[in-house]
Amino acid sequence: MTCSADRDGVPAPAGFRRLGGVVCGREYSLLIDRRAALANLLLLAAVLLVAVLALSLCSITLSPRQALAGLFGTGEAIHVFVVQELRLVRLMAGLATGAAFSLAGCLMQTVARNRLATPGIIGIDNGATAFAVASVVGLGVGLAPPPMALAGAATATVVTFALACDVGTRGYRFIVAGIGVGAVFGALTQLLMMRVAIDVANAAYPWTVGSLNARNSEALRWLLIGLLPGFAVALRLARALTILRFSDAIARGLGYRASACRHAALALSVTLTALAVAVAGPVGLVALIGPEMARRLSSPRGVPLTAAMLAGALLMTLADLVGRLLLAPIEVPVGIVTAIVGAPLLLWMLLRPEARLT
Amino acid sequence: MRSSLKFPFKCSLLLGAGLCLAVTAAVAQARTVATAHGEIDIDGRPERVVTLYEGALDAALVAGVTPLGAVATRGGKGVAAYLQSQAGDVAIVGTARETNIEAVAALGPDLILAAPSLSDEQYQLLSRLAPTIVPADTGFRPDAWKEQARLYARALDREAPVSAAIEAVEQRADALAEQQPAGETTATLARWMPHGPMIMSTRLFSTGLLAASGYAVRDGGAVREGRPHSDPLSLENLARIDSDRLFLATLNDDGDKALAAARRSPAFERLQVVDDGHVVAVDGQLWTSASGPLAAQRVLDDIEQALAQ
Amino acid sequence: MTERTAAGRVALPRLMLMLLAVLGLVMLTSLLFGAGSVGPEAAWRVLAGGGSGDERFTVLSLRLPRALVGLAVGAALGIAGGLIQAAARNPLAEPGLLGVSAGSALAVAVALVLGASAATLRVSVAQLGALVGCLLVLAAARLNGAGSDPVRLVLAGAVLSGLLGALTSLLLLADQRSADEIRFWIVGSLAGRRLQELKAILPSLAVAGVLVMLIARPLAAMALGERIATGLGHHPGLIRLLTVLAVALLVGAATAVAGPIAFIGLVVPFAARALAGPDVRRTLWLALPLGPILTVGADILSRLLIAPSEMPLGVITALIGAPVLIAVVRAHRLPAV
Repeated sequence: MTCSADRDGVPAPAGFRRLGGVVCGREYSLLIDRRAALANLLLLAAVLLVAVLALSLCSITLSPRQALAGLFGTGEAIHVFVVQELRLVRLMAGLATGAAFSLAGCLMQTVARNRLATPGIIGIDNGATAFAVASVVGLGVGLAPPPMALAGAATATVVTFALACDVGTRGYRFIVAGIGVGAVFGALTQLLMMRVAIDVANAAYPWTVGSLNARNSEALRWLLIGLLPGFAVALRLARALTILRFSDAIARGLGYRASACRHAALALSVTLTALAVAVAGPVGLVALIGPEMARRLSSPRGVPLTAAMLAGALLMTLADLVGRLLLAPIEVPVGIVTAIVGAPLLLWMLLRPEARLT
Repeated sequence: MRSSLKFPFKCSLLLGAGLCLAVTAAVAQARTVATAHGEIDIDGRPERVVTLYEGALDAALVAGVTPLGAVATRGGKGVAAYLQSQAGDVAIVGTARETNIEAVAALGPDLILAAPSLSDEQYQLLSRLAPTIVPADTGFRPDAWKEQARLYARALDREAPVSAAIEAVEQRADALAEQQPAGETTATLARWMPHGPMIMSTRLFSTGLLAASGYAVRDGGAVREGRPHSDPLSLENLARIDSDRLFLATLNDDGDKALAAARRSPAFERLQVVDDGHVVAVDGQLWTSASGPLAAQRVLDDIEQALAQ
Repeated sequence: MTERTAAGRVALPRLMLMLLAVLGLVMLTSLLFGAGSVGPEAAWRVLAGGGSGDERFTVLSLRLPRALVGLAVGAALGIAGGLIQAAARNPLAEPGLLGVSAGSALAVAVALVLGASAATLRVSVAQLGALVGCLLVLAAARLNGAGSDPVRLVLAGAVLSGLLGALTSLLLLADQRSADEIRFWIVGSLAGRRLQELKAILPSLAVAGVLVMLIARPLAAMALGERIATGLGHHPGLIRLLTVLAVALLVGAATAVAGPIAFIGLVVPFAARALAGPDVRRTLWLALPLGPILTVGADILSRLLIAPSEMPLGVITALIGAPVLIAVVRAHRLPAV
């Protein structure tokens, strides 16, 4: 694999670098967007830094070296326990849910051509929350909260799209159907919360705001299983989505099946959200802020799916770390931290005069 | 992994046990404790205890152990007000909502006393730090607190003081019951909510003590099986809380405030028990979320005062 | 469409009479039925001047104030919905969906945490919160040019509501005493409301009423376009400001008494337009009886569904309103406002 500015005398376009090489006797070449690559590297470095901090800091403060020793099982027994059993699982949960929420948000925003359109806004989080709370308060069909959250997200999605199918996914009227469905689920959650005993309401509380403390290893496994192929599919869709941002006609002209791409992206988006909500509860704001951050850093040429994933993972782990340290030893749920951090940003997004919502 | 983790603790445990042996000549027996997660063998006398449940903190203090860590009481930043003086500066390791397992680990406990409602996931983690005692969840029963306290005491290897405390509570309740015709005075425990009152179940810790003190406790038929309290009652059905005595609580400890809020409601003013002046404002935290011998004595204090009225 | 408009114009007084008759029936039903043991016959005896002390108390001191509060809240929310839809020129605009109620609820939550107890809520706090929510979402809509696209405004509103809701959750976490109260307060309800609370909001309802009279005609002119409105001698900026003020007064007052009740402001103008065509003046007139019919009707349901307890009113209005929202958006052409 070699790096060269040009190949066969054809220079790479401005802002790109061409990666070329011979693999298995076939010649491949790849254009790398320099700014996007830089942004991804930057985000990756930030994620790694926060990850090390997340493994080191909390009630027991470890040096990064102790944390890494604990990670590989060579440190003191208590360090190994804290890092491997408590912090690593939590870190994985944070990274995976953040990446999933943000990727899902980026996909839906691109399809709806609106930066405010995320799965959380169209009621999927609310559906998952209502079902999870129902499970906690003992109304579930014997299922634990994570599978119930999945079922709830699926139900909300099916209802929303069934109601909106004939108006199509264009014109994003399905968003309004989703807001309506979300309102119903929100009302049901409130009804449940107000009728249960206060201890049960306390137990259900993390499911209403989003927390990484209550994460379930089974649900996390499902998320990880879904995230990897999901990312691969998203990357395959990325090119078509880039063109879909402009118009269906152009996409068709270039040989893409617009509605198939759109449906695939939406399906992927809600699946990822459902899997992530089953782990962490509704932390929908990451889906708004992650892609926004990615777009700022990355090049405007493409849909920054990779950067959005990294940004989401970064935000989620950082917010969780802050939440653990802020009022230690009492933890502030990650959903609350993202709300505080996200609030000003969202208002700014809403009120900025030059904002292009599309 | 398990044994390597516990090794230092076992060392200190043995050392502590050895010291005890030398000083008091008490022999710490290896014993088996039946918990919700099966039988657990404990040997030695635990000294570094963390309680993740208010009832466990109460029992531990009765047993003469000051825990290293405890969870904050519902709605507060520290332990329950009635335990504050005895618990001293116990470290807070989370809230009733969420336990911070790492903070527990940092204390290096040799015994963890948890609530019946502890989740399996949390149990798996906690039990790797130290033997974790989770009483079997037997639903709402007025006497569940006694079994729980005895279980914690056994795990702590200090059964005598807890048994004595439970007997003291029973004797005091009997003495109170003798002051009134048994089962003829009716009583209701309710929490005043902005939407109307919730009637508390007759199967709770505090309503159980009311019954033991000779009251016929009623719930107006509004509490469904297996629930600690009713939905907020419609004001049209307020007559259901009418009794010879009404114990009125809110979540926060200022029961008087609850009474003031209730008094602004004309429907409340019409109740016979209000007319008779037999409404007793009580600390809702103590009456609706605490359990254990110390809490029982405080509840009996309230009941005794009400009798003297 | 034009035929129906013409018919609506002719039939407005008759429509009003019919709706007032329905409203009378609903109010009567609300006095006759409740979660308690006083049945329709007993309640009827009370209305005829008889009945025992307990029956008289239940009907006259519990059900009557509640029905009257429902009347005021319903009218306020219905008219607020009509106003905000006219100002935003958007049939999906609704105080609850746009975050106006959420702003009001957050303000009240802050007041509770700072020490006010739920019973002594200051109406002005709720109105201030409603005003801020209203200004925020309309500013967002105007700045982003979303006023021309109904869906975008709703989207901005949903984001804003979610945000304000998250901040309310934060307060819940910080203060459990309030959490216990807010858990109930964030679901709107008319249970246990008294005439004093109604009296507290009457002045602001009166002020809002005067404002509505002043701006109804200019709003109708603005429906034809801002240029035409300007040509007719109106000031669009001023009208919009007064509209926002009126909406904040109405929604704040309603929220202060009953908590956030969603979808009344969506369903009522929707029904009014279906009955009498798109003219905002007619919509507002019809909202006057329609809002209370819907609110008091939903309140009757809330008392009967799970007696002897009560279902919160906000849950029932959401169950009624969400299908209407979806129906509006499924209409192939969004009806013009």
